[in-house]
Amino acid sequence: MSVRDILSSENELTHMLGAQQAIVLSTRIRLARNLSDHPFPGWAKSAQRAKVTELCLGALNPMPKFRRAHEVRMEALPELERAALVERHLVSKELSGGKGGAALVSRDQTVSVMINEEDHLRVQVVKGGWHLRAAWHIAEQLDDALSSALPLAYSDRLGFLTACPTNVGTGLRASAMLHLPGLCLAGHMDKVARALGQDGLAVRGWLGEGSDAAGNVFQISNQQTLGLSEDTILRHLSGWVRNVVEQEENARLRLIESEGEKFLDRIARAFGTLRHARLLTSGESMANLSLLRLACDVGMLPEARRATVDRLMIEGQPAHVQLRAGAELDTEARDARRATTTRDTLADFPEPSAPRLP
Amino acid sequence: MGKTVPCSVCGATATVHLTQIVQGQITKVHLCEGCAEKGGAGDPAVFQLAGVLSQTEVPPTLACSACGMNDADFRKKGRLGCPSCWTALLPALEPLLGKIQCGVHHLGRSPSGVTYSPEQAKMRLDAARREMDEAVQSEDYESAARLRDLIRNLEGQIV
Repeated sequence: MSVRDILSSENELTHMLGAQQAIVLSTRIRLARNLSDHPFPGWAKSAQRAKVTELCLGALNPMPKFRRAHEVRMEALPELERAALVERHLVSKELSGGKGGAALVSRDQTVSVMINEEDHLRVQVVKGGWHLRAAWHIAEQLDDALSSALPLAYSDRLGFLTACPTNVGTGLRASAMLHLPGLCLAGHMDKVARALGQDGLAVRGWLGEGSDAAGNVFQISNQQTLGLSEDTILRHLSGWVRNVVEQEENARLRLIESEGEKFLDRIARAFGTLRHARLLTSGESMANLSLLRLACDVGMLPEARRATVDRLMIEGQPAHVQLRAGAELDTEARDARRATTTRDTLADFPEPSAPRLP
Repeated sequence: MGKTVPCSVCGATATVHLTQIVQGQITKVHLCEGCAEKGGAGDPAVFQLAGVLSQTEVPPTLACSACGMNDADFRKKGRLGCPSCWTALLPALEPLLGKIQCGVHHLGRSPSGVTYSPEQAKMRLDAARREMDEAVQSEDYESAARLRDLIRNLEGQIV
């Protein structure tokens, strides 16, 4: 089945190494597009939604980017598989729970298109690390291919027409997923989030809208889509991401310098918990894995281990744990499974050493 | 039992009550559990949208002939019915756009093959010039070069 293929195959987010993923985990571009002359999914009858699905898949499937792509129909999937796709950020919660939703995921998982979410089409490009321009370039090409293949709802004055006024115009949501343990430990995250909010950027947790910041992972994205060109939106986000990365680097340095042995103790305790716990809730696991990830970034653990930590973060999410077990599990059984996988995976990790300052 | 308040987004009974104070301006938003979970409580854009929607409780005056949605439906759902609603319900949408967006004119890309009207091209040209100044000031020469090409292209369209 295609969802298991998606989850088990290697992709940029689960298997990529490299220093550039230290703070920015991933970059994402999302474009909202609609077909002209068709009601938006939330107002459409199910036959109208089905028609839109066929039109969109018919236009997308022949595109080179979607050669051997995974095609998934939400209603045909068991609940756990749908939830796992949400945990991978390949589809949204709204699509997975809605009616007549479908998605096309490119073979390498960098591009996915949701059909019949809030809008007819939601194009998503995800790159591991910080690659805003590269992701935008792919989205732009796909957008041109889409507009040649389908009549898109567009007005000269308001741009691309969307179901919600928060997306009209460019339909562009550009975002970066950042790992910010330094700012969180130093207690500065609230201040940073406020500054971003005042400058037109939204700060959200790991799973997007309404989620908490498990594992000190935050998503930063533009809020306005109309009255700005794509270039302005990307430049604005880019400037802030660079700024936040710099603040995070400084916060880490200050922590290491000021805390000394206490910092090593924090990391060692996180390592100990993950190595020995018999029950790990997803919150506890994320919080400790975040510290282990930080340890890889500052030379307390080999940098090559960071990809393993990232994989544990992704695969420790509830639906992933249950799919791996092949059954629905209650919370305690999930916590036991998560702990076992974590213990086994970390068995050959070396003990954390003292941090290396740059 | 106290008095129940309707959700600002969907009209169901609200259980989450938010108050936002920005520069002395107080906005109150009430959300049901569903809408709060969907992001209302954590998402500033939804907060603004819900706030604007909840301010007006008036009977419908506009309707979309293509899909049947009227402005009261929109205020209740917060989502439009079809692309034609953007024309039919525009008088109800414009004040909202003024609050949640950066303007009421699109300055981004268009579908391939669509050309700009002279007014559109002029507006884009002005915006591109402003952006190029900003790009040069922030020493972002890659963007500045791209904008210079765009400006030349737009100037060509206007004459």
